[in-house]
Amino acid sequence: MADGLRLEGLSKHYGDNIALADVSLSVPDDTYISVLGPSGSGKTVLLRVIAGFEQPDGGTVQFGGERLDGVPAHRRGIGFAFQNFALFPHLSVRDNIAFGLMYRERDPVIGQRALRTKVEDIIELVGLTGLADRGVHQISGGQRQRVALARTLVTEPRLVLLDEPLGALDANLRGRMRGELRAIRQRLGVTFLHVTGSESEALAMGDRVIVLDRGRVGQFDSPDTVYNQPASPSVARFLNCYNIFAGRLEGGRFVAGQAAFATGGTPRAAAESAYCIRQDLIQIRSSESPPRDGEAGILASFVTSEYSGASVQYFFEADGGRGVEVEAHLGHRRPEELMPRQPYNLVWNAEQAVVFG
Amino acid sequence: MNSAIVKPALAVYTGLFILFLYAPFIVLGILSFQTGPEGGPQFPIQEWSTYWYRHILGLTPPSRIAPLPIGEALIRSMVLAFMTMVVSTVLGVLSAQAFRKRFTGAGVVFYLIVLGMMVPGVLVGLGMALVANALGIDRTWWGTAFALHVVYTFPFAFLVMLAIFNRFDASVEEAAWSLGVPPARTFRRVTFPLIWPGVLSAMLFAFTLSYDEFARTLFSSGRELTLPLAIYGTFSVEIHPNVFAFGVLTTLFSFALLAVYAILMGISVRRARRLAIQEDIA
Repeated sequence: MADGLRLEGLSKHYGDNIALADVSLSVPDDTYISVLGPSGSGKTVLLRVIAGFEQPDGGTVQFGGERLDGVPAHRRGIGFAFQNFALFPHLSVRDNIAFGLMYRERDPVIGQRALRTKVEDIIELVGLTGLADRGVHQISGGQRQRVALARTLVTEPRLVLLDEPLGALDANLRGRMRGELRAIRQRLGVTFLHVTGSESEALAMGDRVIVLDRGRVGQFDSPDTVYNQPASPSVARFLNCYNIFAGRLEGGRFVAGQAAFATGGTPRAAAESAYCIRQDLIQIRSSESPPRDGEAGILASFVTSEYSGASVQYFFEADGGRGVEVEAHLGHRRPEELMPRQPYNLVWNAEQAVVFG
Repeated sequence: MNSAIVKPALAVYTGLFILFLYAPFIVLGILSFQTGPEGGPQFPIQEWSTYWYRHILGLTPPSRIAPLPIGEALIRSMVLAFMTMVVSTVLGVLSAQAFRKRFTGAGVVFYLIVLGMMVPGVLVGLGMALVANALGIDRTWWGTAFALHVVYTFPFAFLVMLAIFNRFDASVEEAAWSLGVPPARTFRRVTFPLIWPGVLSAMLFAFTLSYDEFARTLFSSGRELTLPLAIYGTFSVEIHPNVFAFGVLTTLFSFALLAVYAILMGISVRRARRLAIQEDIA
């Protein structure tokens, strides 16, 4: 743990823009960490500061027990995978991968045979066999992604920073690369710090998930905890699967406009009061069956639905034009025939709501 | 707009424009084939001959017309242009590289550099002559004139490189650093190969601008003349078609230079296109 990556009070401004407000965290070795944040949350800046491409205004980066203040990027031993891959366009796949080994400052690989063996090994590991002599313009996007990864991994960094590595790939390929990234990391035993704006990617890839919120660490937990127990209303918002009601706690009930919800358990302290309920935990009932004991609910009229294969997303509108979304997984429930502009009771188990007060 | 009228009209206009542009050169080319030594620099052509070309190369029997004093001047001008090209391009690349990051005084330094191509050449030449006299420095083509050529051509090389770096994706350099490759080696192995087409253009600019520079050289080059000065010197006596013949030869030389440039450029553009394709797909 002491040898891993430690950030203390990192801050970085661009004019009036605060990219990093106060980031402190400690990342253990040999894990897959995903960093989730909406655009503008400072996630790319965080990676660039760790890599040494940018200097922080305040705070320190420690890695392997050493402070990295003022250490230039090429002496940090931290790999970086770019969103646009940033391959060397004038070199072949093989030369791209061999580049770091040949020209690095610290013990470059001189022997042609040793170089060849290392490059061939990593080419096989990332599944690029047979493409070594192609130019990087002659291969597909997914293959370029692998070259970028192989180029970094072959230099054996202990930490690899990945800046939206799957962002430039199409959906199909993205799914496959997810699994491969995890497998490759496990085989090599390095730490991956994977930045993404996609909540599903963050939850699927990371052993642990860091949620960045306006330049601060909003939450740092296992994917399961982040998903089920978001630490703040903003974290719940980034997860993109919660209905979030603003309001205030009043004698065990949560008042949001004209609606009032039952709460279960103790509400969590937070700067902002909010009542959050996951979209897939809501049941749709007729307007004649109100919530029973231990349940909470809201009356809302049906607007439209969106079918996406395994599930359906229903859009409702409650009092005051507030949108409420319900996600129904079709493996468990039949799609319901709902009448547009008709009222329905949206009901959930009060214990399952996450309440901040 | 009626394109049935506009298009032919534009074509005629373009044709006339090109004719106007090249007419002097064509006339010059025709007159260079005047008979010699009695034929003069005017129409009509009395008889077609290659006399004046042979005259330049010293292959004609001696006559009352002195051979053009260009032998040494030509070599001087080429050496000067080459020196200027190397120094200005190196300076241009380095200073444009410096301008990739904001630094204090960047605006002032920018205008100071660009000033070199803005100020009137005659004034700078005269100024250099005065300064050299005041400091007791001998005026030479390889010293004082060379310095002015660099001051003049460096801004062109600088601006070309500035435009190149403007479109340069710095993430490939960061990628190299993150692989443990130090910045100087990254420049040599990544940046330089990628900016090479721009460097070629900067070199071409610097060479050609220096090669036929007149105003700055006039006052600052001292007794040993460069080619443009030597040719100008012959005008003050009497003009013979040998000057035209020489003009044709130097133009052919320039074309050869351009051809070399085009070939080198073609090679690197083909390389750059791969980069463009890569970005399109990504």
